[in-house]
Amino acid sequence: MNRNFKFILTICMLLAVIMASACIGEEKEETAKDTGSGESSQELVVGISSDVNNWYLEMFAGGDSRFVWSQVYETLLRLDSDLKIIPGLAESWETNDNGKTWIFHLRENVTFHDGMPFDADSVVFSYSNKSYARQAVLRPVQSVEALDKHTVKFVLAKPMPLPYYLTHVAWPVMGPGCLDAEGKFVKPIGTGPFKFERQTKDQEVVLTRNDAYWGDKSLLDKVTFKVIPEAATRVIALETGEVDMIIKVPEYDVKRLEAKEGIQIHRKLTTFTDFLQFNCDSSPFNDTRVRQSVAYAVDTQAIVNEVLEGIGKPAGGRAYSPVMMYSDPDLKTYTQDLEKAKTLLEEAGWKDPDGDGIRNKDGKPLQTTLIVSKGVWAARHNPMAQVVQGALGEIGMDVKIQVLDDGGISKLESTGDFGMILRTGYFVWGPYPRHFFVHHSANPYSHYHNETYDQLVNAADMAIDTKEQEELYHNLQAYVIDEVPAFYLVHEEKIVGTGPSVKGYTISSEDPWLNLSGVYLERK
Amino acid sequence: MWKYIAKRLAMVSIVITGVTFVVFSAMYLAPGDPAEVIALARYGDDLSVSQIETLREAEGLDAPVHVQYLIWLGHLLRLDLGKSLVTSEDVLTEILQKLPATAELAVASLLVSLMIALPAGVLSALRKNTLLDSGCMFVSLLGVSIPNFWLGLLLIWLFALTLQMFPSFGYGSLKHFVLPAFTLGTSMAAVTARLTRASLIEVMGQEYIVAARARGFDEGTVLIRHAMKNALLPVLTFAGMQFGYLLGGAVIVETIFSWPGIGKLLVDSIFAMDFSMIQGCVLFIAVLFSLSNLAVDLLYAVLDPRIRYDRHD
Repeated sequence: MNRNFKFILTICMLLAVIMASACIGEEKEETAKDTGSGESSQELVVGISSDVNNWYLEMFAGGDSRFVWSQVYETLLRLDSDLKIIPGLAESWETNDNGKTWIFHLRENVTFHDGMPFDADSVVFSYSNKSYARQAVLRPVQSVEALDKHTVKFVLAKPMPLPYYLTHVAWPVMGPGCLDAEGKFVKPIGTGPFKFERQTKDQEVVLTRNDAYWGDKSLLDKVTFKVIPEAATRVIALETGEVDMIIKVPEYDVKRLEAKEGIQIHRKLTTFTDFLQFNCDSSPFNDTRVRQSVAYAVDTQAIVNEVLEGIGKPAGGRAYSPVMMYSDPDLKTYTQDLEKAKTLLEEAGWKDPDGDGIRNKDGKPLQTTLIVSKGVWAARHNPMAQVVQGALGEIGMDVKIQVLDDGGISKLESTGDFGMILRTGYFVWGPYPRHFFVHHSANPYSHYHNETYDQLVNAADMAIDTKEQEELYHNLQAYVIDEVPAFYLVHEEKIVGTGPSVKGYTISSEDPWLNLSGVYLERK
Repeated sequence: MWKYIAKRLAMVSIVITGVTFVVFSAMYLAPGDPAEVIALARYGDDLSVSQIETLREAEGLDAPVHVQYLIWLGHLLRLDLGKSLVTSEDVLTEILQKLPATAELAVASLLVSLMIALPAGVLSALRKNTLLDSGCMFVSLLGVSIPNFWLGLLLIWLFALTLQMFPSFGYGSLKHFVLPAFTLGTSMAAVTARLTRASLIEVMGQEYIVAARARGFDEGTVLIRHAMKNALLPVLTFAGMQFGYLLGGAVIVETIFSWPGIGKLLVDSIFAMDFSMIQGCVLFIAVLFSLSNLAVDLLYAVLDPRIRYDRHD
């Protein structure tokens, strides 16, 4: 080969690469302009942290999916912004045998996004035994049948307050039009105020207004959900006006954003409560007194003030956020008392005769681990864990913090090789106290095995009468305070930020759920 | 030449076979239970132990590890990387969907880095030990030391928030390229500039340069026709390797700028414990990396006659 020829060849190759990349860029520019010019004044842009991973009832809708689902799909029953049960696609419901069969009377004149009527058959379709809900939380449901066009009967294996369960947006009513003739999923078809238009994986989901909506039609023409995983970028996108609304604003950005003109921060107590789960199966936390001493040592007010910028409510061991059903307002919670914490440890046999600051028992030092997940909660949980570590150091407990990915955590959970795990939001959806199952022996994530507790939880979940439910759930809360299978730290606040053009937004307690009814834009 | 290519290709395939073994055993040894991951994705947190066991059997996850490996390898040969444990989508399709975004960003950042690094390196070398040289090298030291995520956020703050010149996130238009490509390009440019400088200084000190000058060529000709050709060889190797890394996805930058590339896909799958997706991504990145190194080797052979072994043409 001639040398010059090779030189020219190399240059050509380089040029080709440059041109190719320029062309790709150019092409994209045009498509971007196309969507840009179509922007109407009533097009809301919302920044969320993860894409919709799934649209169909065979799988759980994880991450931020449910903020989007809650615009497209609806449930038989709904919750208002204070978590009170209100009619949704069902106008009324009843049970004649104390919760073993439930009958729902459906709303008439409701149509799906594809124009098909909403009727009893679509409810049967949505809760068939192929749905993940029937294989998971709705396991006790034995059959779902249409009594007539607008009446559905659910038959259960045991009594269960089914209406509460059916408020959850992760198991909504879907239209049979979601599937093609061969039963393959094609597109989301719901009854909600917005219709699915398109999704660009990991970038955006676009919804348009459902003009045939049965309720109050949305004032918005279009909602675009932009996927922005990094919290800092999401906040900046709100500040630059690239998005109108962001969900899950980090606590440490709230003060700064509140001071900015035009930006509004909306806060409300949600159903999530952070908790410190103990490994009650092995030493030192197999001793109730040691768990109680942790509860006396950790100042949950200080966590809220020092770590969370005053956002959230100190729980002091209360398992349920005050917004939840049957959350006991008179519950006797913990307040910090280091002396009492030390006394409890002494009683449990953990003493410090050598005065090195770490207690011992039978020649073994009081050392334990506290596990924090690397996932989405890390920014919140890492500093909380440090406060806990500091407080427990003061009563002579040596705590090591381990930050692990979920795989690492699940391995330690199966071997039992850990002391405490910091968690939030397990089995919390809607106002119903399903969360108590976390410490139930049948649960794979439970590290507390106590028959009395299991029976209490079973009884409470099978109670239908509200008076009886209330009593049982109050008992359970008191039980958790006394027995401390986990120490509850902070009732979380949901934080939504909106830009200057957004009007009429009301934040709801339900999480993950986005309330866009009444929202409109006033662009300058 | 062809023999050389064939030899290199054979080596690449050996490397890739080794990679499949490492990738599979790493996933097998990694903490976490794939059956539990599938159960969590399908049913959410509210699980029972028996559901996990049922899934383990149904998905063939209870088979011995070597059987699982052979099955996986068999699928691989048919270019089937399996399905995501979490979303049930085809792994290869998913990766190929992300490839263009990553490749475009890689090309753009490589261009940015070369456009900064080559002039800076050459200038520094020519004006060795002057204020200009120290200045360039100081800035490039900064470039090496500043972490990507911080530079990225800083650039967003300045150009998106304060000056409102470029979008702070997203993918789609030429404008979207600027901040991520600049973030990645500058940190690469720093090393490349230092390398260019060192290499050029070394070459400029060699006798053939003195000879060229003695023959009366002007300094520009000496630099471009004689010195640069040799000085750029190590730079080319380095840039090629960087390009290989970039094709594997710039994890942090892709996350900060919500860039829908392979790096972000990999990180998301790691957090979701999506074993089959992680396997697929790592394998794919390894293959790309081997191929881009192969390309550099070949380009090297084209550029440098000393490396062009057994020439028969």
